[in-house]
Amino acid sequence: MLLVDILLSGLILGGMYALTAMGLTLQYGVARILNLAYGEVMVAAAFTAYVLFTGAAVVPLLGLLLVLPLAFAANWAIYRVMLVPLVRRARTRAALETDSILATFGLLFVLQGIGFVIFGGQYYGYAYLSAPVSILGTTVAVNRLVALGFAAVLAVGLYWLLTRTRTGTAIRAVAVNPDAARLVAIDVQTIAGLAFAAGGALCAAGGVLVSMFLTFNAAMGVLFTMKALIVVIMGGVGNLLGALAAGLLLGLIETAVARLVDPGLTLAANYALFLGVLLVRPTGLFGRPAR
Amino acid sequence: MSAILRYGPAALVSGTLAALALVPLLGSDYHVALAVAVLSYIVLATAWALFSGPTGYVSLATVAFFGIGAYTVAVLGEVLPWPVVLLVAALIGLVVALVVGLSTLRLSGIYFVVFSFGLAELIRQLVTWYEVNVGRSVGRYVFLDIGQTAIFWQLFGLAVAVFVVGWLVRRSRLGLALQVIGEDETVARHCGIDTTRAKLALFAVSSVFITVTGAVMAPRWTYIDPAIAFNPLVSFQVVVMALLGGAGVLYGPLLGAVPLVLLFDVIGANFPNHFSILLGLVFVVVVYGLPRGVAGLLGRANSIEHRAGPPSHRVRGEGGSPRSGETGEGASRGYADAPSPGSHASSVRSDLSPRAGRRETCLDVSGEPLLEIVDLSKSFGGVRAVDGVSFQVARGSIVGLIGPNGSGKTTALNLISGLIPPRGGAIRFDGAEITGLRSDRIVHRGIARTFQLVRVLDELTCADNVMAAIAFRRHPSWGEKARHRAATLLARVGLAGRDEEPAGRLTYIDSKRLELARALALDPKLLLLDEWLAGLNPTELQEGIALIASLKRDGLTIVMVEHVMDAIRSLCDRCVVMNTGRTIADGGTAEVLAAPEVVRAYLGGGDADD
Repeated sequence: MLLVDILLSGLILGGMYALTAMGLTLQYGVARILNLAYGEVMVAAAFTAYVLFTGAAVVPLLGLLLVLPLAFAANWAIYRVMLVPLVRRARTRAALETDSILATFGLLFVLQGIGFVIFGGQYYGYAYLSAPVSILGTTVAVNRLVALGFAAVLAVGLYWLLTRTRTGTAIRAVAVNPDAARLVAIDVQTIAGLAFAAGGALCAAGGVLVSMFLTFNAAMGVLFTMKALIVVIMGGVGNLLGALAAGLLLGLIETAVARLVDPGLTLAANYALFLGVLLVRPTGLFGRPAR
Repeated sequence: MSAILRYGPAALVSGTLAALALVPLLGSDYHVALAVAVLSYIVLATAWALFSGPTGYVSLATVAFFGIGAYTVAVLGEVLPWPVVLLVAALIGLVVALVVGLSTLRLSGIYFVVFSFGLAELIRQLVTWYEVNVGRSVGRYVFLDIGQTAIFWQLFGLAVAVFVVGWLVRRSRLGLALQVIGEDETVARHCGIDTTRAKLALFAVSSVFITVTGAVMAPRWTYIDPAIAFNPLVSFQVVVMALLGGAGVLYGPLLGAVPLVLLFDVIGANFPNHFSILLGLVFVVVVYGLPRGVAGLLGRANSIEHRAGPPSHRVRGEGGSPRSGETGEGASRGYADAPSPGSHASSVRSDLSPRAGRRETCLDVSGEPLLEIVDLSKSFGGVRAVDGVSFQVARGSIVGLIGPNGSGKTTALNLISGLIPPRGGAIRFDGAEITGLRSDRIVHRGIARTFQLVRVLDELTCADNVMAAIAFRRHPSWGEKARHRAATLLARVGLAGRDEEPAGRLTYIDSKRLELARALALDPKLLLLDEWLAGLNPTELQEGIALIASLKRDGLTIVMVEHVMDAIRSLCDRCVVMNTGRTIADGGTAEVLAAPEVVRAYLGGGDADD
């Protein structure tokens, strides 16, 4: 039953990766902002869920109702206040990329520093829906299954929004070509802000779901950012289905290496897989050629 | 003032280093420790900017090489004599840089950034795993009898070396090549630059400096583990320092490293609990306040100074037309001097190329064609942009490649110049097959081109735009001779005396002239012009036609994609007409333009048939 075990754990982990990577690919693919403080938003959401649960007995799934709009608003504000000046200033996409990397790198440190001041360096966690259930001969905690289910619902919802609504179409148009989108009367800056905010909300959702079954601390944001980034790049920037596939792949391989080889090598396996993919396909598994 | 501008950077660098050299003589241990930190980051940031500054590749792999250096010392420090250890570290750094560079430098933009970060993390994870599972201990002790002062002087030597090397590189052809690559890699290849080799060379130089810095710094820790030696924060700090100072100039990173190291020290000592918040705020301030770094501020002062110079400079500096405001000597070298048909043909010939004598046999239609295209094809998705095209170009002739928009003319040129590989068919040039060769190789065979959407290198001067081609053509030249040649070519296309003007300030038409000068600088046998005459006003058009005619008299063979019928009639010996990816006519210009299917292709089927 090792195989089922690996598959199930891998899928749950991969589902979380895919969900968070989708948020990042919205931010990077549409708003063209490479947000290095992305993982910090995730950690902040996890801490919010923790405080709500332990302090006010609000269960995380209800907490989502509060965290999602809050994260949406906060990310919208970050985009308008911090990033729009950079967008205005940038002459080329490469210039914006460099500027946004540096600015959000600063933001990362500020958020991480605040986290340390409030919560210190130790790990946090809480028990919610942690009863084990047996599936196909392997046992999983209920909260992991619930998290996977929610992730799936959010992903399908996002896909539907992007492909079936007017705003979603505008978002996809901006992702493909901001200049041409402007020509068909799409307000690129508003759409980009919307995509950035929605990406941040997805990220926060990922943070809340992950907090139900993983322990976390104030320093973990960078790790989350890097994993999300790796998934985005592997899947091809701006490609939602690519992010899904790459996320699941990464989760499965990580779990397999942890169970079959050595838990100490999971991160190394991650990076090796990532570097390997880039060497074979320089623009990701499903990416289009850059030029 | 100009003396300050000229010698300022050298004075700044040597002044800073001299001031640092006083620290071990006058200061306390604490001061020396601080000076070691400052020096190490000066070397790291300057070495980083050596490669990343001109090319724009933001590398986060700094700490990978730094850590490799440190671990070389940890493993070999007590076994081998110290100079040998440093040499081994440098060699390991070199080998890793070559392997990494060869596999990654084709990644662009963000892919390279994340890849370089991933690489550093992968190495860290692997070293950690090895140490825990094989070495049975996470860390290692470095017991070497190398004191802080000794480390200081070694770093000092390294700093001097990195500045000397950086200065030499900037003066060299390689330095110019990297600037061109940073601006436009396609243009770089069409200047004959082997972009992979140029990038790899400088990536290796930069990485070796970083590796040796890691090795020199290692004895300072006495205990190292992968978390210390491969701390990703180092990579980020180096980037921020270089960008704060300005990565575009050699002395820039120094301007960032010195204040930031001191600032981090102050913050760390006084606000240990809020260190990361303050660090973050500093980054944000840097990004918003100093987009081009401290050096950028100084640079702006320079250009203001430059524009306020003598009147003759002002005309050049403001990008006006070369003919509008100039009198006397200037006017005599303007476009008016461009040869009109039949006049100074002989002087023009020697003007174009010192070796032009070999081209005396001009129109040799009978012999083997210079360019032969057989059944060439290329598809983009389902669109057959070029679909089984065949034609020949005789030596010394001008062939017009014409057809409606979207008929595949530019794609055909792109296939010939090696910008994109063909799906099928063959291209033979000057008796040899060139199908699928890289652009820089094709340039060396003797094909030069201009682009439909003009591609000049905005940040470089007009002279440097042309110099790039002169420096990397088949028989390159460099130095005064090349500069003189560049000036001659600029005068030839009507940009006389504007050598030092940044290409970004040129008008659209002047950019086209510059692009032509760059193509001519390659000493081509075949010139590909992609709508070079489009957008010219009637006077400019006549001058342009005369210029192309004079090129032909010099023996140059030309393939021109063009819509301007006057130019096609007066210049082209033959025309190849394309429509929807196929050739629909090929022959003498007059007959081809009168052929019914050509008229139909241009005017639409219904009009021609009814």
